[in-house]
Amino acid sequence: MSTRILEVDGISKRFGGLQAVSPLSFHMAPGEILGLLGPNGAGKTTAFNMIAGALRTDTGAIRFNGRDIVGEKPWDICRLGIARTFQLSKPFGGLSVVENVMVGAFVRTASEMEARAEAEKVVDFLGLTAKACTDAEDLTAFDRRKLELGRALATGPRLLLMDEVVAGATPTEAQEMVALVRRVRDLGVSILIVEHVMKVIMGLSDRVIVLDYGKLIADGPPQQVVNQPDVLKAYFGERYVQVHA
Amino acid sequence: MDALTLSFAVINGLLLGGIYGGVALGLSLIFGVMRVINFAHGSFLMLAMYCSYLLWASLGVHPYVSILVTVPFLFGVGYVVQSVVISPLIRRERALVVEPTSALLLTAGVYLVVDNSVLMAFGPDVRSVTTDITYESIFVAGLPINLARLIGFAAAILVAFALSFWLKHSDMGRAIRATAQNRDAAALSGINVPLIYNVTFGLGCAVLGLFGALLVPFFSITPTIGLSFGIKSFLVVVLGGIGSIPGSILGGLLLGVFESVAAQFVTATSAAIFSFGLFIVILLMRPAGLMGRA
Amino acid sequence: MRASFTLILGLPLLVAALILPFVVADSYVVHSAAMVLYFAYMASSWNFVCGYVGQVSLGHAAFSGIAGYASVLLFTGLGLSPWIGMILGGVLAAAISVPVGYATFRLKGPYFTLTSIAFAEIMRIWLENTDEFLGIPLKGAQGLTVPPVGGTSFLAFQFDGKLPYYFIILAMLVGVMAATHVMERSRLGFYLKAIRGNRDGAEALGIDPTRYCLTALALSAFLTGLGGAYYAQLFRYINPERNMGIDLSIDMAVMTIVGGQGTILGPTLGALVLHPVGEMVRASLGGHVLGLHLIIYGVVLMLAVLYFPKGIIAPLQRWLTPASKTTAPQTTVTVATPKEVEGR
Repeated sequence: MSTRILEVDGISKRFGGLQAVSPLSFHMAPGEILGLLGPNGAGKTTAFNMIAGALRTDTGAIRFNGRDIVGEKPWDICRLGIARTFQLSKPFGGLSVVENVMVGAFVRTASEMEARAEAEKVVDFLGLTAKACTDAEDLTAFDRRKLELGRALATGPRLLLMDEVVAGATPTEAQEMVALVRRVRDLGVSILIVEHVMKVIMGLSDRVIVLDYGKLIADGPPQQVVNQPDVLKAYFGERYVQVHA
Repeated sequence: MDALTLSFAVINGLLLGGIYGGVALGLSLIFGVMRVINFAHGSFLMLAMYCSYLLWASLGVHPYVSILVTVPFLFGVGYVVQSVVISPLIRRERALVVEPTSALLLTAGVYLVVDNSVLMAFGPDVRSVTTDITYESIFVAGLPINLARLIGFAAAILVAFALSFWLKHSDMGRAIRATAQNRDAAALSGINVPLIYNVTFGLGCAVLGLFGALLVPFFSITPTIGLSFGIKSFLVVVLGGIGSIPGSILGGLLLGVFESVAAQFVTATSAAIFSFGLFIVILLMRPAGLMGRA
Repeated sequence: MRASFTLILGLPLLVAALILPFVVADSYVVHSAAMVLYFAYMASSWNFVCGYVGQVSLGHAAFSGIAGYASVLLFTGLGLSPWIGMILGGVLAAAISVPVGYATFRLKGPYFTLTSIAFAEIMRIWLENTDEFLGIPLKGAQGLTVPPVGGTSFLAFQFDGKLPYYFIILAMLVGVMAATHVMERSRLGFYLKAIRGNRDGAEALGIDPTRYCLTALALSAFLTGLGGAYYAQLFRYINPERNMGIDLSIDMAVMTIVGGQGTILGPTLGALVLHPVGEMVRASLGGHVLGLHLIIYGVVLMLAVLYFPKGIIAPLQRWLTPASKTTAPQTTVTVATPKEVEGR
């Protein structure tokens, strides 16, 4: 149908005197991995939360497969096919790894058996089969992150919103996560990643957009965007750009 | 119904509602700072009433004079309950075992102990205090206004203003507000958070000491009076916006007037059902309460 | 694993409950045992929502009273069998629970608890002061009696002797436990645990918290209603204080929390321990000292919240299922990722 799975059209958000996100527009193609970059306080998370339905936009429209989803509740957005992960991975206590994933799988089925079967597939996909019956609260930080991804995947999304996938991970873990995200994309899922760690996003994204002070300052292939003066300025300050110019 | 009866009902509702708001102040303050709903709130009011009654019955102390005893006494009760019963839980919560309902259950335990201790000590009998002002009224525009209620109402407004002013301008008040905003940041900047909690809880209860004594001249005393005032306070703070001091008074006024006017049409107990209905409607339309921030 | 533990502990208890009335045929003992089962049933019904959603209701007695009154009135007024009245009363209680829950479950914070107790107390006080409502005789604080039909009549829920009542409440208790078990393993159970554990995370996985909390509340109100109707039939008498008062709500909550909330057997253990204690205190002091057993409940509640938040079932579970955990918990100290202070 359309070549755009997600169209963000002039969304903005104001907190008191602070314009967290100025009218922001971008779009995503099906099967694309889009990186959303920006220094601390640039409004990435705010924009992310507006798309996920956790925050109400002040203006603009967000179209998913052509349908405006502004004002929809987070759970309805999930049912439409947009899943998200959180910066801080908090598993559901008292449930095992596979049971945590089942919570996500129950969106598509009311049957416990089907949900379990689906969840086992996802757990296998994540490489967590050996820990499937472990209490999720006993997992390492990185495994929790994978579990968080698994829960989101189990809802059968067309679009996955990921907040900080490798924060706090070791280099090996980061590599593993990058490979995992690629495999998720190979399943046909479009992915929007908010990320801090430049290196990761450069290798992973098809395209990146950069926010600074709530405004879009760059949009394009990673290698191209990273050398733009505006972007360098946003990350490293005015001096850096002058010295290296 | 004629205009005279109606205006009488409204005035009476305002007076009683102001007192409801005053009684609820402490509940709102404690929740605003500590995020703890004190289920035993009404029980402490009841304690203050019995304290005032005992002073009157045994020593002939006028209820208004007994304030000198009830306020410090209730401050002490609140301070001790917080530091002995609730603080272990808060210490545990700091270890990230957050159970938001635990504090409520804990204070429900306090309620059971206090209410039933008083029941054991005094029995279920209704007691009342007769003083020189019990039947005293002044007339405003031809309407009789009960003096004791008027004093209670004035006290509620005064305490609300004084509390707001004190929170804003005193050192302790600032420390309390800082702790309410962010407990950990307050602790880092040198504020003694456990002390702030004890003082806040004591203060919330001291306000009850005042209103207990002010209520005694025109309210009969039973061991169950605490619960009924406690429930009114719950409704009042949710109506006004939990944690808001002006909201507490406003919620009280609204509840008082509604009850009093509705009672002109139906029995007082049916009126309570209507006020609960009003409460649900307001909760649906303004979830954060009248003065609360969404 | 959890299920097998429930069986290890539950089956012996069930067997004991089944043979008890034949070993001790004394009708006072059977009646007391039925009361323990009644409280176990009520606590289990309370646990059905509160133990899983993590929202404390201190107004569940209202549901008991609503259904109890409905069943008695339908029997005395229309001659409807209390069995049917019980179900209809339960449905009525569930229907009334929905608006109360809807207004409060949408909000984070203590709203539900405060509203539930206000609701129950206002209902009770209204009932105590209402002799007649829309032509229906309610008889205020005095309460209603169930007229005897004479002898045993299954349809009229009236039996000679206490034994049938004992087995009815035992069956109801087993029923509510089975319902809890089924609920735990269904989508609803998973969703409730998810909402309790991490509400935002649950919402992002397609869960509407209000909807599932309401479902659980309505079921819980229904079950509590059945218990209220049973109580009215057991005593052939119902009044606002005993069937609707705050003491009953508190009993349900305290027993569940002391026994172990969010477990199948916890509420029953709580009732098994606390109800006899309360009775003994009452009996030994001959009713001269009002409220002493509630003081004890209050102290026990505080101690439980502070020192045994998982209830007495937790140590039992450890003793009875030793080292059955095959996967040793990895207690790796994980450094949480520094939370980005963005979001503004």
